[in-house]
Formats: sequence, C-alpha cells, structure tokens
Amino acid sequence: MRIDSIAKLSQWRQECQAKLAAQKRKVLVCLGPGCLAGGSDEILEEFKRIVAEKKLADISVEAVKKTGCHGFCARGPLVVIEPEGIFYSKVKKANVAEIVETTLEKGKLVEKLLYTDPRTDKTYTDYKEIPFYARQERISLRNVGQIDPDEIGEYVARGGYAALAKVLTEMKPQDVIDAVSQSGLRGRGGGGFPTGRKWATCAREESDIRYVLCNGDEGDPGAFMDRCIMEGDPHSVLEGMIICAYAVGSREGYVYVREEYPLAVINMQKAIDAAHECGLLGANILASGFSYDIKISRGGGAFVCGESSALMRSVAGEVGEPRAKYIRSVVKGLHDKPTVLNNVETYATVPVIMEKGADWFRSIGTEKSTGTKAFSLAGKVRNTGLIEVPMGISLREIIFDIGGGIPDGREFKAVQTGGPSGGCLPADKLDLPVDFDTLTRAGSMMGSGGMIIMDDRTCAVDVARYFLNFLVEESCGKCVPCREGLYQLHKLCVKICEGKATENDLALMERLSKVIQTASLCGLGQSGPNPFVSTVQYFRDEYLAHIRDKKCPAGVCRELITYTINDKCTGCLACIKVCPVDAITGEKKKLHVIDQEACTRCGSCYAVCNFDAVDIV
Amino acid sequence: MTRQDLTKLTAIFDHYPTDAGSLIGVLQDIQREFHYLPREAMTKTAETLGVPLSKVYSVATFYNAFSLTPRGDTIVRVCKGTACHIKGADLLLDQLESGLGIKPGETTEDMKYTLEVVNCVGACAMAPVMIVNNKYHGNVACNRALKLVKKD
Amino acid sequence: MVHITINGKVVKAAEGEMLLTVLKREGIDIPALCHHEAIEPTGNCRLCMVEISRAEWEGWKKHVTSCLYPVEDGLIVNTHTPEVIEIRKTIIDLQLANCPDSDVIQKMAEEYGIYKTSYETVPEGDNCIMCYACTRICEVLGKSAISAVMRGHKKVIAPPFGEEPPDCIGCLACAQICPTNVIPWTDTDSTRTIWKKTFDLITCTSCGKAVITKDFAEYLMAQRQIPKEYFETCDECKRMATARKMGEIVTKAQEAAL
Ligand SMILES: Cc1cc2nc3c(=O)[nH]c(=O)nc-3n(C[C@H](O)[C@H](O)[C@H](O)COP(=O)(O)O)c2cc1C
Ligand code: SF4
Ligand code: FES
Ligand code: FES
Repeated sequence: MRIDSIAKLSQWRQECQAKLAAQKRKVLVCLGPGCLAGGSDEILEEFKRIVAEKKLADISVEAVKKTGCHGFCARGPLVVIEPEGIFYSKVKKANVAEIVETTLEKGKLVEKLLYTDPRTDKTYTDYKEIPFYARQERISLRNVGQIDPDEIGEYVARGGYAALAKVLTEMKPQDVIDAVSQSGLRGRGGGGFPTGRKWATCAREESDIRYVLCNGDEGDPGAFMDRCIMEGDPHSVLEGMIICAYAVGSREGYVYVREEYPLAVINMQKAIDAAHECGLLGANILASGFSYDIKISRGGGAFVCGESSALMRSVAGEVGEPRAKYIRSVVKGLHDKPTVLNNVETYATVPVIMEKGADWFRSIGTEKSTGTKAFSLAGKVRNTGLIEVPMGISLREIIFDIGGGIPDGREFKAVQTGGPSGGCLPADKLDLPVDFDTLTRAGSMMGSGGMIIMDDRTCAVDVARYFLNFLVEESCGKCVPCREGLYQLHKLCVKICEGKATENDLALMERLSKVIQTASLCGLGQSGPNPFVSTVQYFRDEYLAHIRDKKCPAGVCRELITYTINDKCTGCLACIKVCPVDAITGEKKKLHVIDQEACTRCGSCYAVCNFDAVDIV
Repeated sequence: MTRQDLTKLTAIFDHYPTDAGSLIGVLQDIQREFHYLPREAMTKTAETLGVPLSKVYSVATFYNAFSLTPRGDTIVRVCKGTACHIKGADLLLDQLESGLGIKPGETTEDMKYTLEVVNCVGACAMAPVMIVNNKYHGNVACNRALKLVKKD
Repeated sequence: MVHITINGKVVKAAEGEMLLTVLKREGIDIPALCHHEAIEPTGNCRLCMVEISRAEWEGWKKHVTSCLYPVEDGLIVNTHTPEVIEIRKTIIDLQLANCPDSDVIQKMAEEYGIYKTSYETVPEGDNCIMCYACTRICEVLGKSAISAVMRGHKKVIAPPFGEEPPDCIGCLACAQICPTNVIPWTDTDSTRTIWKKTFDLITCTSCGKAVITKDFAEYLMAQRQIPKEYFETCDECKRMATARKMGEIVTKAQEAAL
C-alpha cells in the first residue's frame, strides 16, 4: 500500500490501531539478545503452537508477538501478557503450556514466574510497577520491547511517522533545525556535540550532494543500546534520519551497522524495505516532493570505524583508518561532501522532539544535558539490562534503585562509563548527576551509554589492562603515539599486574599518557589512556599494592594470587574433576589440596566449589 | 576453486555495482558463503571491481569480520567485552583452549572446531557469553563451556 | 596573503599553505619523518606537532601536526614549548623502542639527548616507522603494489599475501622515498629484486650498467608516452653523450671561426 498523502497516513494509522485494539489479549515474547541467549525463540514457537492448537477465544496466533529487548535482561527470558502487563520472568519452554492454561484460559497468575524484589520481598504482577521500570522514562526506547519490529503497522499505530508528516507539511527545513537546536539535543554517540548546530553547519555548506549517515557501529565493549533500538524499533531510526535529511537537504544516506549484529542488519533492512513500499522512503515521500534513500553499510568489526572519518572511509569500501584533517566532516565528509553523522539513539529521539516540541524535551533532564539517555547496565549488578533515564539522575539511583545494587553480598567498587574512552568512578562519586559535563569533569565520560558496574572482586589495574589490551588490538595502527604508545602503556600495565613493576614505571606511564592524549591523530588514541588515568586517579593504592607489596587486593591478577583450600572442604571431588592441569589431589570425603607448583590459577576450582572452601590470597 | 564456487562468486559480484565502494560488502558476502576468504576469490574481487590487489588484501586483514584461513565446522566464539571480562571470560577461554587444544584464531586439525574471541556481542546482560555456531549461550560457567560446545 | 606569528615573529604566508612549509621556509628546525613533497601529507609520525593559538582564544591553545594544518590569518604558532619538546622526545623514544637498529632514528634520538629508550624494545620490530611514504608514492605512481596490512600494533607494510606483488614494476620509488632505508633491494648485472620479485634489467648500450627494469620502462612508455630509445642508455652515459655533443658543437664553431 502506498501512502501518498497525510490523510492516507492518518487513515492507515486508524486501521492499524483498530487492528491492534481487536486483539484483546497479547503475548509479547522478548527476542532481545539476552533473552535469546536463554532460548526465547523456542518459547515463542511453543506459544504459537499451543495457541494455534487450542483455538482460544481471546487470543489469536497473530497476537503472540516477538519484540525487541524489553529491558530487564537479567530476568530473561521474559514474557509479558497485555493488556494487564503481567510480567513473567525466567520463563522456560516447559512453562509455556502452564501460562496458556492458567493465564490465557483461566485468567489467573502463574505465581512462580512473577518477579519478586529480593530487597523487599514484594511480588509484582504489572511490570510497570517494578522499581526497575517505574523509575525510567523512555523516549528513544519508547517502542523497544513493545512492538514487533517487523511490523511497520505497529510502529504507525503508536504514532510512528506522524512526526515526519508534520515536518513535511508544516515545517521548513530551517524550522526543523531550529527546533532541534532549541531542544538542546546533544549527540548520544559519546561526544555530546549539539545536534542542531551540526545540522545547521551541514545545511549551510554549498554543495550539490549532502549525506545523512547513522552510526550504528557500537564498538564500545559493554554497550548494547543501539543494537536494541535497531533490532527492536528500526523505524524510529529511519524516521529520525529522514527528518534530518529533509532539514539539511540530503537525498541519500547510509546506516552503518556492525557485522556482529546480524539481527540488527536484518531488521533495519526489513524496515527500509517496508518504508519504501509505503512511500515513506525513496522518491517523493508522502507526495511532498522530497526524496531520500537509505542503504545499509555493514561494518567489518573494527572499533575505530565508529570514529567519524574512519566510518566514512569504511562506507566508501576502504580500510577504516581515520583521516587527519582539520576540516570537519560536516563540511567535507563522505566522498568529500558535507555529511551529517549521528548516533542511532540520537536519531530515534528526533521524531519525538518534532511531535512534542523542543520545550517539552528541554523540560526533561538538566539545563545543559536535556532529555533522557539510554544505558546498558552490565557487570556486577543485579538488574542487568537496558534502561532509559532522565539526564541528571544520580549514579546511585541508576545502580541501586533501578539496578538493584550489587549481588552476592559484595561491595560496590566502581562504575565504568564511556567504554574504552571513558573511566571508572568510585563510590564517593555515586551521588554525581549523570550528564555530559559532570561525568567528563569527574574524569570519565558519558560515552555512548555502556555502564559496567564493578564490585570489590574487580581489580582496577586489571580493568585498565583490559581496556589497554582492547585498544592496542583496535588501534588502526596509523599514527605513532597510539600504535606504539598504547602498546607500551599496555606492556607497563601488564608488568604491574605481574608484580614486576616499579614506581618509576608508574611515573613513566603517567607521562606517556599525556603525550598519547595530545599527540594522537583521532579520538581513539586521544582518549585511549583514560581508563588508566582514571583508575590511577581513584585507585592509586591498589596500583601501589601491586607494585610495592606484590599483592592484588581484589584477588584477580593471576601472578599475585594463590588458591588454597580451607577446612570447609567436604571432599566432594568437584574441583578435582574440573582442574584442567590436575593440580588438586585428595580423596572422597577428605580435605583436598592444591599443588601450587602445578596450579595455573585459572580459578575453575573457585568457580565450581559449592562450599566456599577455595580461598584466594 | 571449483566451477560451482565460481558460480557462487559471480552471483555475489552481480549483487553489487562494480566499483571500489562495493569492496567490503563483496568480501563480507564471500566470507559468509565460504566461511573465509579464499585467495582466488580475493584476486577475482580485485579484478572484477578494478581495485588493486594490495587494497583488497589490506581491507581483508584490517577488519575482524574476515578470516584468511578456512574455519572449522563448529565455530566457537567467546565474548571478550567488558562485562564478560569482569565476569570471568578469561577462565572460560582457558577451559576451551585446553579442552580443544587450540588458541583463539586457530582451528583443530580435524577441521571440527574453530575458536575465536570477539569484542562484545551486545548480550552483556548474560555475561559471560559464548556463541556456538550463532547460538548464544549466556551465563556460561567455565566448567560447562566445553560440554556445551561438544553437545552442539 | 596572511600574517601569522611564529615564535613571536610576524611572518607572511600564502593562504591555505601548510604550516610546516612555512616553518621550513623560515628556517625553523621541525622534525618530520612522514612528510615528503611528492606525496600528500597524512600525519602518521606526529613529530611535526606545534602549538597553535589565536588572540581571541584567550589563552586556550592546542597542538596540531603542522604538515597538515593550513595556515590562516592571525595564527599564533610556538614550535619549541616544553610540551612540544616533550611530545617529540616521547615519540622518538617510542620509535627507538620500535626501531632499535635504525641509524636515522638513533641519530634523531641523540639530538634529543636520548641514548637508550625508556621502553621495552619491541620484539617483532622491523625498523619500519610506518610512515606510509612507500605505499603513498606507489599509489601516486598508479600501481599500489604494496599496502599497509593488518591493524594496530601488528600492522606491517607488505605486498599482498606477503608474496611477489603482481602489480610491482620494480621502480624502486618505495625504497628511495623510505626515510629510514628499510626496504631492501638488490641488483645483479641483469636483474633487480625487490619485494621478493625479480625483474629483468635494461642495461645501458654504451656502458652496460643497469638503467631501469623492463616492466617499469614498458609502463612509462605506455603511460607517459616516453620513447623507447630513452631507456637504452643510462643517465650518466646520456649526460656524457650530451657533453660530447656539446663539445663537438663548440669545436665545430671554433673551427668555423678560425
Ligand atoms: C574510536 C571512536 C569510536 C566511536 N564509536 C562510536 C560508536 O560506536 N557509535 C557512535 O554513535 N559514535 C561513536 N563515536 C563517535 C562518533 O565519532 C561520532 O561523534 C558520533 O557518531 C556522532 O553522533 P552523535 O553526535 O549523534 O553522537 C566514536 C568515536 C571514536 C573516536
Ligand atoms: S589515534 Fe589510533 S586509531 Fe586514531 S589514527 Fe592514530 S593509530 Fe589510528
Ligand atoms: S533481551 Fe529480553 S529483556 Fe533484554
Ligand atoms: S611530518 Fe607531520 S606527522 Fe609526520
């Protein structure tokens, strides 16, 4: 069906809404990355099979839907039953028959699958009341986990493409740019550059061709917001891009998606095809005379390709090496033409700003960081998952109120934001408001939204070593400070982890870091030392413990720890079976012993022991 | 390359405009079809797209997505993202390395298994994550890893 | 024409000219390993960094690679601040760890008072500083026979698959442009070998010395319409021939005058 007028779009929207309203009951099965790892694809099939078989009055097979990430990944696989919002967590394929029978047929709850907050022992039925969800405010994630991403009709039913219609009929390109500027929207990809200003610069450039690109590279290890948006609500990204293209006068663009996200590639492509078919993308969009087309460019899995000039070279089919230039890519970008590059989440936010207005957006968040920000919570936190919160909320609220605190009775140690370009913030920074400028001032950065929580069993030096290793591998290798500098910085960090370093080495690292930061060609190198610099700023004692006492207080660095078995050992043989080098001896029901010579400190015994009998010293 | 392989290759080329801009897309499709980049396919790509062979080779070696050697039937990928790292991905990798007798990037002699390390697959909430032939396994205990691999 | 201030002195420069060119013209000593007139600057080595500022920046300043920075009116440049020197020293120190056997790097290091690197010597170092001069000149010549392969610290300059590069014509441009002389090549009486590929040489018809590889001559004949005869004698013999001809003309003229 071709939608070639605003009237037709409204009529279509009403039809879509009516169709959804006719589905009294709906089963939403999360097929986000976390739930999928728990086998939710099989759960979906099972629901479809049983519902089809039983031919229930209230629910049809079409009303059993797959969605993108619902957010509370730690509790996955998730199944939500609408309209009540009944939240079933940790669902197994074997539970499906029971859910159909009890809830869909009899209207009762399957109590054992409901979520109970471990801190309050309160059990919840409606997910919207669970603290994890209740404290969030979802703009860019408005549809993620709520709709079937393959159905353009569901996006339209929830108001999708209304912003585009409004923009094309009621607004001039300059009005769009003004609205984005007034909203205070800043880029969600890490830098926090004012989006309106970027668009204005591009629109001002004299040129026959301009490009509008979307950065879906998400190379930051530990971040999955962009993935979830592209997989769970691809049309919101497209709509944002089309609006941007209209504002700056672009006729073509690319979405750069990393190859490691195959489902994101598939869903974005399906969305592009569907939008094309309806006349919402391509030539003469909504009969407005404006044309814009989007192609997908698959990234080859290189972190540096998230950097703007590297991304543009990669789109052009070249090696993703950043180009050193003092002319910005909004002026000379892809194929040397003016180019706007924005992040996935930035684009997904734009349609909502167009609909509800700049003032509404400004009313959320803080003065200089308006709106909301999506984060992926991961690491040593109870409620790992995908969240969106107003800017200015404190780290404590995110980690403890939404995130549910640290599991296994351990202590919070630090939170890592900004990925390899960011830093670690310790407990005394927990009350800082989360916004672009505060996090930067504290020595970390907002970054794209990966938030990794660490407990007292995480070693700060090891974390620095991890990121440096990542960067040494991911550096493009073009310029010397980054290629050789980070290589040496990593070597020195390894030396500390192995207990072989001196305080002179630490001083050398600090001097070297400064030069890498100022002399590197692109953002990767310029921010590369940050994980080291921030950990040494906040956890210097821990560095010194490795250097002076040859100890790793967190019990992580292999060269500095030993595993021993204490008298809680019941002699269950479990550790003996898992030890890969046969370093443990002992008989059934007798105390086991680790041969320190043979032990490689792999930690298998520690992981497998059910009696807390393995100590790390 | 067999005639059949060449047909597959031509089908891939037909999908793209014959210019330098298609290079990465073409190589990705070749990788997907053959599970690695056969040398002859790279030479053919250079000829077809009119790109110097050196450029094809530098692109092929730059991106993680490409492999220049044939890979095994079962591809085991261990996520080394930050979340997986602090949740013990190293231990998991250790177990797989010793269990399969290969290092990351290598393939067992019988061509059954290839072990790879990937940078974050975006399933951090289920860390540590291991992917066996595109099937995701979350919260993998290190002593279970090898069993999961051998089962698939 | 624009005016910029370099180390306190006002200097004229052409608009859009690269800062390094201006600095060199002013006789200021700026190390620059990856820069060469014949190729576009890429900013790999980072040695040519200087500090820049402007009056309206109110004391704010930044560091840029001068080889890539187009000058603009009102630019204030400082080339030898303690920060700039620290950057240069650190980079040379890193290069010394990477290329311990390179005499070019050793000499440069000594100029900065570095006799031993502060870092661990890179075990797999091959004395290549990764300036891309060779790949860039090869591209300029229209061949692109070699390229940078791999990524990050593993990056090396190599022909495809590490074997004889099919597009190489043995012109030696890469070896000659290399600032640290690390691209090896050898000649015998009738052959030349570079990048493991061996070429037949055209030898000088008068003295028998090597003139050019057959492949390069053919390439130039086809691409630049240079006549075949041009490659039959070596440069030296060409010069001698010219001199001889000049001599003959002079003698003839003298004879005529008598
Ligand atoms: C090394 C490096 C990696 C980056 N990776 C990403 C990324 O994965 N996703 C992203 O949106 N931006 C990334 N960026 C930032 C982009 O260069 C660019 O600023 C951003 O896409 C602009 O969009 P925004 O203004 O909407 O944030 C990266 C930057 C650097 C220096
Ligand atoms: S800073 Fe690193 S990633 Fe960026 S250009 Fe230099 S080597 Fe490449
Ligand atoms: S993947 Fe299902 S909740 Fe995130
Ligand atoms: S000469 Fe400018 S970076 Fe090398």
